[in-house]
Amino acid sequence: MEKRFMKGCEAIAEAAVRGGCRFFAGYPITPQNEIPEYLSWRLPEVGGSFVQGESEVASINMVYGAAATGTRALTSSSGPGISLKAEGISYLASAQLPAVIVNISRGGPGLGSIQPAQSDYLQATKALGHGGFRTMVFAPATLQEAVDLTYNAWEYAERDRNPVLILMDGCLGAIMEEVELPEMKELTYKNTESWDISKRNGREESHMITPILPEAMLEKLNAYKGMTYKMWEKNDVKVEEYLLDDAEYVVVAYGIAARVAKEAINTLREEGCKVGMIRPITLYPFPKASLDKLDYTAVKGIIDIEMTIPAQMRDDIELQVKGRCPVYEYGRSGGILLDDEGVYEAISAIVKGGNQ
Amino acid sequence: MKQSFVFSGSGGQGIMSAGIMLAHAAIDMGKHATFLPEYGPEQRGGSAKCTVIISDDEIISPLTKKCDNLVVLNSIAYNKFADTVKEGGRLIANSSLIPTDISRDGIKSIAVPVDNIALEVGSLKVANVVIIGVLIGATGVVSKEVFVKSLEEKFKAKKPEILEMNMKALEKGIAFGKA
Repeated sequence: MEKRFMKGCEAIAEAAVRGGCRFFAGYPITPQNEIPEYLSWRLPEVGGSFVQGESEVASINMVYGAAATGTRALTSSSGPGISLKAEGISYLASAQLPAVIVNISRGGPGLGSIQPAQSDYLQATKALGHGGFRTMVFAPATLQEAVDLTYNAWEYAERDRNPVLILMDGCLGAIMEEVELPEMKELTYKNTESWDISKRNGREESHMITPILPEAMLEKLNAYKGMTYKMWEKNDVKVEEYLLDDAEYVVVAYGIAARVAKEAINTLREEGCKVGMIRPITLYPFPKASLDKLDYTAVKGIIDIEMTIPAQMRDDIELQVKGRCPVYEYGRSGGILLDDEGVYEAISAIVKGGNQ
Repeated sequence: MKQSFVFSGSGGQGIMSAGIMLAHAAIDMGKHATFLPEYGPEQRGGSAKCTVIISDDEIISPLTKKCDNLVVLNSIAYNKFADTVKEGGRLIANSSLIPTDISRDGIKSIAVPVDNIALEVGSLKVANVVIIGVLIGATGVVSKEVFVKSLEEKFKAKKPEILEMNMKALEKGIAFGKA
Protein backbone atom coordinates (compact mmCIF):
# COMPACT_ATOMS: atom_id res chain seq x y z
CA MET A 1 0.00 0.00 0.00
CA GLU A 2 1.10 3.48 -0.81
CA LYS A 3 1.75 5.90 2.10
CA ARG A 4 1.44 9.63 1.68
CA PHE A 5 1.48 12.70 3.93
CA MET A 6 -1.75 14.33 2.83
CA LYS A 7 -4.25 17.02 3.72
CA GLY A 8 -7.67 15.66 4.79
CA CYS A 9 -9.61 17.11 1.86
CA GLU A 10 -7.07 15.82 -0.66
CA ALA A 11 -6.91 12.42 0.99
CA ILE A 12 -10.66 11.87 0.70
CA ALA A 13 -10.65 13.21 -2.85
CA GLU A 14 -8.01 10.66 -3.81
CA ALA A 15 -9.86 7.93 -1.89
CA ALA A 16 -13.02 8.82 -3.81
CA VAL A 17 -11.23 8.46 -7.14
CA ARG A 18 -9.76 5.11 -6.08
CA GLY A 19 -13.19 4.05 -4.84
CA GLY A 20 -14.63 4.61 -8.32
CA CYS A 21 -15.80 8.23 -8.30
CA ARG A 22 -15.83 9.47 -11.88
CA PHE A 23 -17.98 12.59 -11.57
CA PHE A 24 -17.80 15.58 -9.28
CA ALA A 25 -19.85 18.77 -9.28
CA GLY A 26 -19.61 21.39 -6.58
CA TYR A 27 -19.46 25.04 -5.73
CA PRO A 28 -16.63 26.62 -3.70
CA ILE A 29 -16.89 27.13 0.06
CA THR A 30 -14.28 27.09 2.83
CA PRO A 31 -13.09 24.76 4.37
CA GLN A 32 -13.60 22.14 1.65
CA ASN A 33 -12.15 23.86 -1.44
CA GLU A 34 -9.20 21.50 -1.59
CA ILE A 35 -11.60 18.68 -2.56
CA PRO A 36 -12.77 20.30 -5.83
CA GLU A 37 -9.32 21.79 -6.43
CA TYR A 38 -7.78 18.30 -6.25
CA LEU A 39 -10.49 16.61 -8.29
CA SER A 40 -10.35 19.31 -10.99
CA TRP A 41 -7.06 17.82 -12.20
CA ARG A 42 -7.32 14.31 -10.79
CA LEU A 43 -10.65 13.23 -12.30
CA PRO A 44 -9.63 13.99 -15.91
CA GLU A 45 -6.56 11.79 -15.36
CA VAL A 46 -8.78 8.75 -14.86
CA GLY A 47 -11.33 9.62 -17.54
CA GLY A 48 -13.74 11.22 -15.10
CA SER A 49 -15.46 14.59 -15.24
CA PHE A 50 -15.13 17.58 -12.96
CA VAL A 51 -17.63 20.42 -13.06
CA GLN A 52 -17.62 23.59 -11.03
CA GLY A 53 -21.30 24.26 -11.03
CA GLU A 54 -22.83 27.72 -11.11
CA SER A 55 -24.35 27.06 -7.70
CA GLU A 56 -24.84 24.38 -5.06
CA VAL A 57 -28.33 23.68 -6.39
CA ALA A 58 -27.01 23.13 -9.91
CA SER A 59 -24.18 20.94 -8.61
CA ILE A 60 -26.34 18.53 -6.63
CA ASN A 61 -28.67 18.18 -9.60
CA MET A 62 -25.70 17.41 -11.85
CA VAL A 63 -24.79 14.69 -9.36
CA TYR A 64 -28.36 13.41 -9.72
CA GLY A 65 -27.89 13.28 -13.48
CA ALA A 66 -24.52 11.54 -13.29
CA ALA A 67 -25.80 9.00 -10.76
CA ALA A 68 -28.73 8.21 -13.06
CA THR A 69 -26.24 7.06 -15.68
CA GLY A 70 -24.63 4.57 -13.29
CA THR A 71 -21.62 6.81 -12.69
CA ARG A 72 -20.20 7.02 -9.20
CA ALA A 73 -20.86 10.68 -8.40
CA LEU A 74 -19.69 12.96 -5.60
CA THR A 75 -20.36 16.44 -4.34
CA SER A 76 -18.84 18.22 -1.38
CA SER A 77 -19.58 21.37 0.52
CA SER A 78 -19.74 22.84 4.00
CA GLY A 79 -22.78 23.63 6.19
CA PRO A 80 -24.31 26.58 4.29
CA GLY A 81 -23.75 24.82 0.96
CA ILE A 82 -25.19 21.53 2.22
CA SER A 83 -28.35 23.45 3.19
CA LEU A 84 -28.60 24.69 -0.39
CA LYS A 85 -28.18 21.14 -1.68
CA ALA A 86 -30.89 19.84 0.65
CA GLU A 87 -33.60 19.80 -2.00
CA GLY A 88 -31.45 17.87 -4.45
CA ILE A 89 -30.39 15.35 -1.82
CA SER A 90 -34.05 14.71 -1.01
CA TYR A 91 -34.70 14.15 -4.73
CA LEU A 92 -31.80 11.69 -4.88
CA ALA A 93 -33.39 9.78 -2.00
CA SER A 94 -36.76 9.92 -3.75
CA ALA A 95 -35.35 8.68 -7.07
CA GLN A 96 -33.39 6.01 -5.17
CA LEU A 97 -30.12 7.11 -6.70
CA PRO A 98 -26.74 6.35 -5.14
CA ALA A 99 -24.35 9.25 -4.60
CA VAL A 100 -21.86 10.41 -2.00
CA ILE A 101 -22.00 13.79 -0.32
CA VAL A 102 -19.18 15.19 1.81
CA ASN A 103 -19.76 17.89 4.43
CA ILE A 104 -16.58 19.47 5.82
CA SER A 105 -18.42 21.32 8.54
CA ARG A 106 -17.78 24.78 9.97
CA GLY A 107 -19.33 27.08 12.56
CA GLY A 108 -23.01 27.94 12.23
CA PRO A 109 -25.86 28.82 11.99
CA GLY A 110 -26.16 30.97 8.89
CA LEU A 111 -22.88 31.89 7.27
CA GLY A 112 -21.37 31.10 10.68
CA SER A 113 -17.61 31.06 10.51
CA ILE A 114 -15.10 29.49 8.16
CA GLN A 115 -13.36 27.80 11.09
CA PRO A 116 -14.04 24.16 12.02
CA ALA A 117 -17.04 23.09 14.10
CA GLN A 118 -19.19 19.98 14.51
CA SER A 119 -22.33 22.01 14.09
CA ASP A 120 -24.14 19.89 11.51
CA TYR A 121 -24.87 16.69 13.46
CA LEU A 122 -28.61 17.28 13.58
CA GLN A 123 -28.83 18.24 9.92
CA ALA A 124 -26.78 15.20 8.93
CA THR A 125 -28.59 12.61 11.01
CA LYS A 126 -32.18 13.86 11.18
CA ALA A 127 -33.04 15.86 8.09
CA LEU A 128 -30.53 16.26 5.30
CA GLY A 129 -33.51 17.41 3.25
CA HIS A 130 -37.29 17.50 3.44
CA GLY A 131 -39.63 14.56 3.34
CA GLY A 132 -38.40 12.30 6.12
CA PHE A 133 -35.64 10.26 4.52
CA ARG A 134 -32.36 9.14 6.10
CA THR A 135 -28.87 8.57 4.78
CA MET A 136 -26.02 6.64 6.30
CA VAL A 137 -23.68 9.16 7.94
CA PHE A 138 -20.01 8.28 8.32
CA ALA A 139 -17.94 10.34 10.75
CA PRO A 140 -14.24 9.48 10.55
CA ALA A 141 -11.82 10.58 13.29
CA THR A 142 -8.52 10.10 11.49
CA LEU A 143 -7.53 10.65 7.88
CA GLN A 144 -6.90 6.94 7.47
CA GLU A 145 -10.44 6.22 8.57
CA ALA A 146 -11.70 8.99 6.27
CA VAL A 147 -9.88 7.39 3.35
CA ASP A 148 -11.22 3.92 4.12
CA LEU A 149 -14.83 5.10 4.59
CA THR A 150 -14.81 7.26 1.47
CA TYR A 151 -13.25 4.45 -0.57
CA ASN A 152 -16.17 2.17 0.29
CA ALA A 153 -18.98 4.73 0.47
CA TRP A 154 -20.37 3.91 -2.98
CA GLU A 155 -20.72 0.24 -2.06
CA TYR A 156 -23.28 1.27 0.55
CA ALA A 157 -24.89 3.90 -1.67
CA GLU A 158 -25.36 1.41 -4.52
CA ARG A 159 -26.43 -1.46 -2.29
CA ASP A 160 -29.19 0.68 -0.80
CA ARG A 161 -29.78 2.95 -3.82
CA ASN A 162 -29.56 5.88 -1.43
CA PRO A 163 -27.19 8.81 -0.90
CA VAL A 164 -24.42 8.44 1.71
CA LEU A 165 -23.06 11.36 3.74
CA ILE A 166 -19.51 11.72 5.00
CA LEU A 167 -19.36 14.25 7.83
CA MET A 168 -16.00 15.70 8.79
CA ASP A 169 -15.24 18.99 10.46
CA GLY A 170 -12.88 21.61 9.05
CA CYS A 171 -10.02 20.38 11.27
CA LEU A 172 -10.01 16.98 9.62
CA GLY A 173 -10.37 18.66 6.23
CA ALA A 174 -7.29 20.82 6.78
CA ILE A 175 -5.04 18.60 8.84
CA MET A 176 -2.16 16.72 7.24
CA GLU A 177 -1.39 13.17 8.34
CA GLU A 178 0.15 10.10 6.85
CA VAL A 179 -2.35 7.83 5.08
CA GLU A 180 -2.18 4.52 3.31
CA LEU A 181 -4.01 4.71 0.03
CA PRO A 182 -5.88 1.65 -1.22
CA GLU A 183 -5.61 0.28 -4.76
CA MET A 184 -7.69 1.75 -7.56
CA LYS A 185 -11.00 -0.14 -7.69
CA GLU A 186 -11.85 -2.08 -10.79
CA LEU A 187 -15.18 -0.69 -11.99
CA THR A 188 -17.60 -3.24 -13.37
CA TYR A 189 -20.92 -1.37 -13.49
CA LYS A 190 -22.48 -4.80 -13.14
CA ASN A 191 -25.28 -4.14 -10.74
CA THR A 192 -26.33 -0.71 -11.88
CA GLU A 193 -29.14 -1.84 -14.23
CA SER A 194 -31.94 -0.95 -11.86
CA TRP A 195 -31.12 2.76 -11.87
CA ASP A 196 -28.79 3.27 -14.84
CA ILE A 197 -30.92 4.88 -17.57
CA SER A 198 -28.17 4.37 -20.15
CA LYS A 199 -28.79 0.62 -19.83
CA ARG A 200 -32.44 0.89 -20.75
CA ASN A 201 -31.85 0.13 -24.40
CA GLY A 202 -35.00 -0.69 -26.18
CA ARG A 203 -37.13 0.70 -23.42
CA GLU A 204 -39.18 3.75 -24.06
CA GLU A 205 -38.49 5.57 -20.85
CA SER A 206 -34.86 6.56 -20.60
CA HIS A 207 -35.31 9.06 -17.86
CA MET A 208 -35.28 9.16 -14.09
CA ILE A 209 -37.77 11.68 -12.84
CA THR A 210 -39.45 11.98 -9.49
CA PRO A 211 -43.04 12.88 -10.23
CA ILE A 212 -45.83 13.38 -7.73
CA LEU A 213 -46.47 9.74 -6.93
CA PRO A 214 -49.86 8.19 -6.29
CA GLU A 215 -50.38 8.08 -2.52
CA ALA A 216 -50.22 4.30 -2.24
CA MET A 217 -47.01 4.10 -4.23
CA LEU A 218 -45.37 6.82 -2.15
CA GLU A 219 -46.41 5.11 1.04
CA LYS A 220 -44.83 1.92 -0.28
CA LEU A 221 -41.61 3.80 -1.02
CA ASN A 222 -41.63 5.28 2.50
CA ALA A 223 -42.18 1.86 4.06
CA TYR A 224 -39.47 0.31 1.93
CA LYS A 225 -37.01 2.98 3.00
CA GLY A 226 -38.06 2.47 6.60
CA MET A 227 -37.13 -1.20 6.25
CA THR A 228 -33.77 -0.22 4.80
CA TYR A 229 -33.03 1.97 7.84
CA LYS A 230 -33.92 -0.95 10.13
CA MET A 231 -31.45 -3.13 8.23
CA TRP A 232 -28.74 -0.49 8.71
CA GLU A 233 -29.36 -0.56 12.46
CA LYS A 234 -29.01 -4.31 12.42
CA ASN A 235 -26.02 -4.71 10.11
CA ASP A 236 -24.13 -1.51 9.48
CA VAL A 237 -23.44 0.20 12.80
CA LYS A 238 -19.77 1.09 13.14
CA VAL A 239 -18.49 2.10 16.55
CA GLU A 240 -15.28 2.16 18.55
CA GLU A 241 -15.65 1.11 22.19
CA TYR A 242 -12.66 2.18 24.26
CA LEU A 243 -11.87 1.00 27.81
CA LEU A 244 -15.51 0.34 28.69
CA ASP A 245 -15.08 -2.82 30.77
CA ASP A 246 -14.55 -1.12 34.12
CA ALA A 247 -15.64 2.40 33.15
CA GLU A 248 -17.44 4.55 35.72
CA TYR A 249 -17.71 7.45 33.30
CA VAL A 250 -18.23 7.06 29.56
CA VAL A 251 -17.40 9.79 27.08
CA VAL A 252 -19.40 9.81 23.85
CA ALA A 253 -17.68 11.73 21.07
CA TYR A 254 -17.18 11.47 17.31
CA GLY A 255 -14.68 12.75 14.76
CA ILE A 256 -12.04 15.21 15.92
CA ALA A 257 -13.69 15.58 19.36
CA ALA A 258 -13.17 11.86 19.98
CA ARG A 259 -9.45 12.17 19.34
CA VAL A 260 -9.07 15.02 21.81
CA ALA A 261 -11.22 13.12 24.32
CA LYS A 262 -9.15 9.94 23.93
CA GLU A 263 -5.98 11.84 24.78
CA ALA A 264 -7.66 13.15 27.95
CA ILE A 265 -8.98 9.68 28.82
CA ASN A 266 -5.48 8.23 28.57
CA THR A 267 -4.18 10.89 30.97
CA LEU A 268 -7.09 10.30 33.38
CA ARG A 269 -6.50 6.54 33.29
CA GLU A 270 -2.90 7.16 34.35
CA GLU A 271 -4.34 9.07 37.30
CA GLY A 272 -6.53 6.09 38.19
CA CYS A 273 -9.85 7.46 36.90
CA LYS A 274 -12.02 4.81 35.25
CA VAL A 275 -13.09 6.61 32.09
CA GLY A 276 -13.95 4.99 28.76
CA MET A 277 -15.36 6.11 25.45
CA ILE A 278 -17.97 5.23 22.86
CA ARG A 279 -17.07 6.69 19.49
CA PRO A 280 -19.81 6.47 16.88
CA ILE A 281 -18.27 6.01 13.43
CA THR A 282 -21.71 5.81 11.85
CA LEU A 283 -23.71 8.70 13.30
CA TYR A 284 -26.69 7.18 11.50
CA PRO A 285 -27.31 4.34 12.18
CA PHE A 286 -26.43 5.49 15.70
CA PRO A 287 -24.68 2.87 17.88
CA LYS A 288 -27.66 2.52 20.22
CA ALA A 289 -26.66 -0.87 21.61
CA SER A 290 -23.25 0.35 22.79
CA LEU A 291 -24.99 2.84 25.08
CA ASP A 292 -27.97 0.67 26.00
CA LYS A 293 -25.92 -2.32 27.11
CA LEU A 294 -23.65 -0.38 29.51
CA ASP A 295 -23.73 -1.61 33.10
CA TYR A 296 -25.56 1.27 34.74
CA THR A 297 -24.92 -0.10 38.21
CA ALA A 298 -21.27 0.80 37.56
CA VAL A 299 -21.56 3.78 35.20
CA LYS A 300 -21.98 7.03 37.10
CA GLY A 301 -22.24 9.41 34.17
CA ILE A 302 -22.12 9.87 30.41
CA ILE A 303 -20.14 12.81 29.03
CA ASP A 304 -21.05 14.09 25.58
CA ILE A 305 -18.14 16.01 24.05
CA GLU A 306 -18.68 17.88 20.81
CA MET A 307 -17.12 20.84 19.03
CA THR A 308 -20.44 22.66 19.07
CA ILE A 309 -22.64 24.34 21.68
CA PRO A 310 -25.16 23.12 22.70
CA ALA A 311 -24.31 19.45 22.17
CA GLN A 312 -26.40 18.01 19.32
CA MET A 313 -25.83 14.28 19.82
CA ARG A 314 -27.21 14.49 23.36
CA ASP A 315 -30.79 13.58 22.40
CA ASP A 316 -29.62 10.35 20.74
CA ILE A 317 -27.54 9.54 23.81
CA GLU A 318 -30.35 10.25 26.29
CA LEU A 319 -32.75 8.03 24.33
CA GLN A 320 -30.47 5.08 25.11
CA VAL A 321 -29.44 6.07 28.63
CA LYS A 322 -33.14 6.31 29.58
CA GLY A 323 -32.40 8.25 32.75
CA ARG A 324 -30.23 5.52 34.19
CA CYS A 325 -27.41 7.98 34.94
CA PRO A 326 -26.75 11.70 34.47
CA VAL A 327 -25.66 12.97 31.04
CA TYR A 328 -23.14 15.84 31.00
CA GLU A 329 -21.88 17.83 28.04
CA TYR A 330 -18.83 19.89 27.16
CA GLY A 331 -17.97 21.68 23.97
CA ARG A 332 -16.45 24.64 22.18
CA SER A 333 -18.19 26.35 19.34
CA GLY A 334 -18.25 29.10 16.74
CA GLY A 335 -14.96 28.02 15.19
CA ILE A 336 -13.05 27.84 18.48
CA LEU A 337 -11.37 24.45 18.58
CA LEU A 338 -11.48 21.91 21.36
CA ASP A 339 -8.05 21.39 22.88
CA ASP A 340 -6.35 18.79 25.06
CA GLU A 341 -6.21 21.04 28.12
CA GLY A 342 -9.84 22.16 28.03
CA VAL A 343 -11.26 18.67 27.42
CA TYR A 344 -9.08 17.15 30.13
CA GLU A 345 -10.24 19.78 32.63
CA ALA A 346 -13.89 19.33 31.69
CA ILE A 347 -13.86 15.54 32.04
CA SER A 348 -11.71 15.77 35.15
CA ALA A 349 -14.13 18.18 36.85
CA ILE A 350 -17.03 15.80 36.23
CA VAL A 351 -15.17 12.60 37.14
CA LYS A 352 -13.37 13.92 40.18
CA GLY A 353 -15.93 16.36 41.44
CA GLY A 354 -19.28 15.26 40.07
CA ASN A 355 -19.38 18.73 38.61
CA GLN A 356 -21.42 19.64 35.53
CA MET B 1 8.19 10.99 22.94
CA LYS B 2 5.68 13.56 21.74
CA GLN B 3 6.56 17.17 21.00
CA SER B 4 4.34 20.02 19.86
CA PHE B 5 5.38 22.99 17.76
CA VAL B 6 3.30 26.08 17.07
CA PHE B 7 4.33 28.56 14.39
CA SER B 8 2.59 31.90 14.26
CA GLY B 9 2.91 35.16 12.40
CA SER B 10 1.24 36.79 9.46
CA GLY B 11 0.36 35.42 6.05
CA GLY B 12 3.39 35.55 3.74
CA GLN B 13 6.00 34.89 6.44
CA GLY B 14 6.25 31.23 5.49
CA ILE B 15 4.47 29.93 8.58
CA MET B 16 2.61 27.14 6.77
CA SER B 17 5.58 25.94 4.74
CA ALA B 18 7.77 25.94 7.87
CA GLY B 19 5.27 23.62 9.56
CA ILE B 20 4.93 21.35 6.55
CA MET B 21 8.70 21.16 6.06
CA LEU B 22 9.23 20.19 9.71
CA ALA B 23 6.44 17.57 9.62
CA HIS B 24 7.81 16.10 6.38
CA ALA B 25 11.31 15.83 7.80
CA ALA B 26 9.91 14.04 10.88
CA ILE B 27 8.09 11.55 8.66
CA ASP B 28 11.25 11.03 6.62
CA MET B 29 12.87 10.01 9.90
CA GLY B 30 10.19 7.38 10.48
CA LYS B 31 8.28 9.40 13.10
CA HIS B 32 4.59 10.26 13.15
CA ALA B 33 3.49 13.84 12.45
CA THR B 34 0.36 15.94 12.11
CA PHE B 35 0.14 19.44 10.66
CA LEU B 36 -2.86 21.64 11.36
CA PRO B 37 -3.11 25.07 9.69
CA GLU B 38 -5.34 27.87 11.00
CA TYR B 39 -5.89 31.10 9.12
CA GLY B 40 -8.57 33.65 8.42
CA PRO B 41 -10.46 34.55 5.24
CA GLU B 42 -7.85 37.13 4.12
CA GLN B 43 -6.17 36.55 0.75
CA ARG B 44 -2.99 38.27 1.93
CA GLY B 45 -1.65 39.07 5.37
CA GLY B 46 -3.94 38.29 8.26
CA SER B 47 -2.84 36.02 11.04
CA ALA B 48 -1.43 32.61 10.26
CA LYS B 49 -0.82 29.78 12.68
CA CYS B 50 -0.02 26.14 12.40
CA THR B 51 0.47 23.32 14.87
CA VAL B 52 2.83 20.43 14.24
CA ILE B 53 2.87 17.40 16.52
CA ILE B 54 5.76 14.98 16.18
CA SER B 55 5.80 11.69 18.02
CA ASP B 56 7.45 8.28 18.04
CA ASP B 57 3.99 6.75 18.58
CA GLU B 58 0.75 7.23 16.70
CA ILE B 59 -0.70 10.68 17.39
CA ILE B 60 -4.08 10.64 19.08
CA SER B 61 -5.06 14.29 19.47
CA PRO B 62 -3.67 16.90 17.10
CA LEU B 63 -5.21 19.81 19.04
CA THR B 64 -3.24 21.36 21.86
CA LYS B 65 -3.46 24.78 23.46
CA LYS B 66 -0.15 24.63 25.32
CA CYS B 67 2.88 23.71 23.25
CA ASP B 68 6.46 22.61 23.86
CA ASN B 69 7.90 24.95 21.26
CA LEU B 70 6.39 28.24 20.13
CA VAL B 71 7.73 30.23 17.23
CA VAL B 72 6.37 33.78 16.88
CA LEU B 73 7.37 35.86 13.90
CA ASN B 74 5.65 39.16 14.70
CA SER B 75 4.39 41.16 17.68
CA ILE B 76 0.74 40.29 17.16
CA ALA B 77 1.55 36.58 17.37
CA TYR B 78 3.83 37.20 20.34
CA ASN B 79 1.14 39.05 22.29
CA LYS B 80 -1.48 36.45 21.44
CA PHE B 81 0.42 33.23 22.08
CA ALA B 82 3.49 33.91 24.27
CA ASP B 83 1.70 32.51 27.35
CA THR B 84 0.84 29.20 25.69
CA VAL B 85 4.28 27.64 26.13
CA LYS B 86 4.38 24.68 28.52
CA GLU B 87 6.57 24.80 31.62
CA GLY B 88 10.08 23.92 30.50
CA GLY B 89 9.25 24.66 26.87
CA ARG B 90 10.79 27.06 24.39
CA LEU B 91 9.73 30.43 23.06
CA ILE B 92 11.49 31.42 19.86
CA ALA B 93 10.79 34.98 18.78
CA ASN B 94 11.75 36.94 15.69
CA SER B 95 13.62 39.81 17.33
CA SER B 96 13.77 41.67 14.01
CA LEU B 97 10.07 42.43 14.45
CA ILE B 98 9.57 41.84 18.19
CA PRO B 99 11.91 44.30 19.92
CA THR B 100 10.65 43.57 23.46
CA ASP B 101 12.29 41.56 26.22
CA ILE B 102 10.81 38.11 25.75
CA SER B 103 12.25 36.37 28.80
CA ARG B 104 9.77 34.51 31.01
CA ASP B 105 9.94 32.34 34.09
CA GLY B 106 9.98 28.59 33.62
CA ILE B 107 10.61 28.54 29.87
CA LYS B 108 13.60 29.02 27.63
CA SER B 109 13.40 32.17 25.54
CA ILE B 110 15.40 32.42 22.36
CA ALA B 111 15.44 35.75 20.50
CA VAL B 112 16.55 35.34 16.91
CA PRO B 113 16.80 38.20 14.40
CA VAL B 114 15.15 35.96 11.80
CA ASP B 115 14.42 38.62 9.19
CA ASN B 116 17.90 40.17 9.47
CA ILE B 117 19.55 36.77 9.03
CA ALA B 118 17.34 35.93 6.08
CA LEU B 119 18.11 39.24 4.37
CA GLU B 120 21.79 38.80 5.11
CA VAL B 121 21.93 35.45 3.32
CA GLY B 122 19.90 36.78 0.43
CA SER B 123 16.12 36.90 0.82
CA LEU B 124 13.29 37.22 3.35
CA LYS B 125 11.87 34.09 1.73
CA VAL B 126 14.32 31.90 3.64
CA ALA B 127 13.16 33.22 7.04
CA ASN B 128 11.29 30.00 7.70
CA VAL B 129 14.37 27.89 7.00
CA VAL B 130 16.26 29.98 9.58
CA ILE B 131 13.51 29.02 12.03
CA ILE B 132 13.75 25.31 11.19
CA GLY B 133 17.49 25.65 11.75
CA VAL B 134 16.88 27.14 15.21
CA LEU B 135 14.52 24.26 16.04
CA ILE B 136 16.98 21.64 14.81
CA GLY B 137 19.74 23.28 16.85
CA ALA B 138 17.65 23.66 19.99
CA THR B 139 15.57 20.47 20.00
CA GLY B 140 17.19 17.96 17.67
CA VAL B 141 13.64 16.82 16.81
CA VAL B 142 14.74 16.15 13.25
CA SER B 143 18.31 15.66 12.09
CA LYS B 144 20.13 18.21 10.01
CA GLU B 145 21.04 15.54 7.44
CA VAL B 146 17.44 14.54 6.81
CA PHE B 147 16.34 18.15 6.47
CA VAL B 148 19.21 18.98 4.11
CA LYS B 149 18.15 16.04 1.97
CA SER B 150 14.59 17.34 1.77
CA LEU B 151 15.88 20.83 0.89
CA GLU B 152 17.98 19.34 -1.91
CA GLU B 153 14.96 17.44 -3.18
CA LYS B 154 12.74 20.53 -2.98
CA PHE B 155 15.11 22.85 -4.83
CA LYS B 156 16.76 20.45 -7.27
CA ALA B 157 14.86 21.90 -10.21
CA LYS B 158 15.81 25.47 -9.30
CA LYS B 159 19.02 27.44 -9.65
CA PRO B 160 21.84 26.17 -7.38
CA GLU B 161 22.05 29.61 -5.74
CA ILE B 162 18.62 29.08 -4.20
CA LEU B 163 19.63 25.86 -2.50
CA GLU B 164 22.85 27.50 -1.34
CA MET B 165 20.92 30.39 0.17
CA ASN B 166 18.64 27.97 2.03
CA MET B 167 21.63 26.01 3.32
CA LYS B 168 23.22 29.18 4.66
CA ALA B 169 19.95 30.14 6.36
CA LEU B 170 19.74 26.68 7.92
CA GLU B 171 23.33 26.80 9.24
CA LYS B 172 22.81 30.24 10.80
CA GLY B 173 19.59 29.07 12.41
CA ILE B 174 21.21 25.94 13.82
CA ALA B 175 24.00 28.05 15.33
CA PHE B 176 21.41 30.24 17.08
CA GLY B 177 19.48 27.22 18.30
CA LYS B 178 22.54 25.59 19.81
CA ALA B 179 23.72 28.79 21.53
